[in-house]
Amino acid sequence: MSDVSKYQAPDVVNRWRTLSLGVGGIGLVAWAVGTFFFPEQGLRSWLLAFVFWGGLGIGCLGVLMLQYMTGGAWGVVIRRACEAGTRTLPLVFLMFIPIAIGVYTGTFYEWTHLPPTDPVVVQRGVYMAPWLWIVRGFFYIAAFMFMAWLLNSWSAEQDKTPDVEMSRRLLEKASRFSGPSMVLFCILVTFAVVDWVMTLEPHWFSTIWGLLYVAGWGLSCFCFMVALMANLIETAPMNGVLGRRHFHDLGKLMLALVMVWAYFNFSQFLIIWSGNIPEETVWFLTRMRSGWGYIGVALIFFHFAFPFLVLLQQDFKRRWKWLSWIAIFVLFMRLLDMFWHIGPTVRISPGAIAQGSFYVSWMDIVTPIGVGGIWLWWFFGQLMKRPLVPINDPYLEGAIEHGHSH
Amino acid sequence: MSENLHGIMAEFDTATELVDAARRVRDAGYVDTDAFSPFPLHEIDEALGIKRSVLPYLIFAGGITGLLSGLGLEWFVHVYDFPIIVGGRPHFSLPAFVPPMFELTILFAAFTAVFGMLFLNGLPSPYHPVFNIERFALATREKFFLLIESSDPQYDYAATRSFMESLGGQEVFDVPE
Repeated sequence: MSDVSKYQAPDVVNRWRTLSLGVGGIGLVAWAVGTFFFPEQGLRSWLLAFVFWGGLGIGCLGVLMLQYMTGGAWGVVIRRACEAGTRTLPLVFLMFIPIAIGVYTGTFYEWTHLPPTDPVVVQRGVYMAPWLWIVRGFFYIAAFMFMAWLLNSWSAEQDKTPDVEMSRRLLEKASRFSGPSMVLFCILVTFAVVDWVMTLEPHWFSTIWGLLYVAGWGLSCFCFMVALMANLIETAPMNGVLGRRHFHDLGKLMLALVMVWAYFNFSQFLIIWSGNIPEETVWFLTRMRSGWGYIGVALIFFHFAFPFLVLLQQDFKRRWKWLSWIAIFVLFMRLLDMFWHIGPTVRISPGAIAQGSFYVSWMDIVTPIGVGGIWLWWFFGQLMKRPLVPINDPYLEGAIEHGHSH
Repeated sequence: MSENLHGIMAEFDTATELVDAARRVRDAGYVDTDAFSPFPLHEIDEALGIKRSVLPYLIFAGGITGLLSGLGLEWFVHVYDFPIIVGGRPHFSLPAFVPPMFELTILFAAFTAVFGMLFLNGLPSPYHPVFNIERFALATREKFFLLIESSDPQYDYAATRSFMESLGGQEVFDVPE
């Protein structure tokens, strides 16, 4: 039992928690005021924040399952933080409520206002009925919550058993569960993001859409973990756990996912560009003109090329200060990527700017800060509830040693 | 006996002993050294003072070469040598050029990695003097060996041999050429 207190989160986490709540609270008040006057813009900004921060929680679930399947020291040291990330899913569930209300009242999403003769409405029929869309949205998050609950409860059980054989069996159970669940996870993410983001352009479709978000949210999770671990390494207990080799490994995974993100995005672009069908190319045409075009170019350079070239270097991945800065930078690019998806879509409220015009609302900046503050407050609260490493994991000792080798 | 020697080799029972001995060899100023162990020892690079390989830079250069070769080939074929219109697209269609450019980047980088590794390791090497020591075969099973080559600027048969003996290994061998 002494180990439980030995690996308790340091006091500084509690300070971050309070700070997050303060910032988040102010942001949310600003959002509420803005939404009262501009409901559509408020909900669109909320969706942006939801897809970014909620995606971080969902991404943590994916990475948690990934590390159970692959094993490895990097997974052991970030497992508890990933678990805390998955325990934010109840909050993500609550964060879906404003979106559900927005769809129910037809405040945003163009498809809620399409004429009944529109081929898309005819073809999709009841599948795109608002009530079913809302039920589906809650269902996806509930399914993620169920997976997270199972993995978290096995992990909590492992903390209580000093028996090596027992904790080994729990680990095996978790990894056997993670394999098939990972498949289900990718399918659920695909359905979820098609509903939440792709239907913003009701006449447009892309079959790689789900994978863009599986990779993107996984990348967000790794970046967040690197930034978190780099801030924990200087204080007890993590100063005795983390080593530069852990950051090297996490940096490699960041590099891999930066490449996967670029690969999926380019695949989508190449197929649509080659096909050259107006109903598909419109999505890129809108996003290659005016300010959106500059954002697109910025994404190629700063979401891919720059992090790619920097992360190729071994020294960079081994210095956690540097690595955490690039991680935070990529997180900002993730948000910009989400904005590039959501921002140019059709607005439906009367007097709103035409589609394709470049427009950034102050709420697009304030809402991710507000929602992010609340998400982080919840996350740090969850992080403090359990030891920062899986204390009875049979691989813990080896994982700690791995980080300090050359 | 001290003529025509490839070097002097010491045998150790454990990896820890080998790493400790390697540190002392490095601290004594020897540079033409090598260590042999049945499994990879991450510490040995630092212990023997082995510098980072230049291979990553070669691979990067190989990748860039592949990227430009791909672009050059496609430009030559589609723009310069035999321009035909495909699907109404311009002759120089960068998006369509990217997959071959990507593939050639990987190909050239991978070839540079494999052949560069072989070259920098001096492979293939059909003959190596260390195999003149019969017990050296144990390096693939359970023993650890440390070698100072006679090409080392500090090498002096008598001094180096007594230094090797002082390292506390099981046995010290003269390795003939």
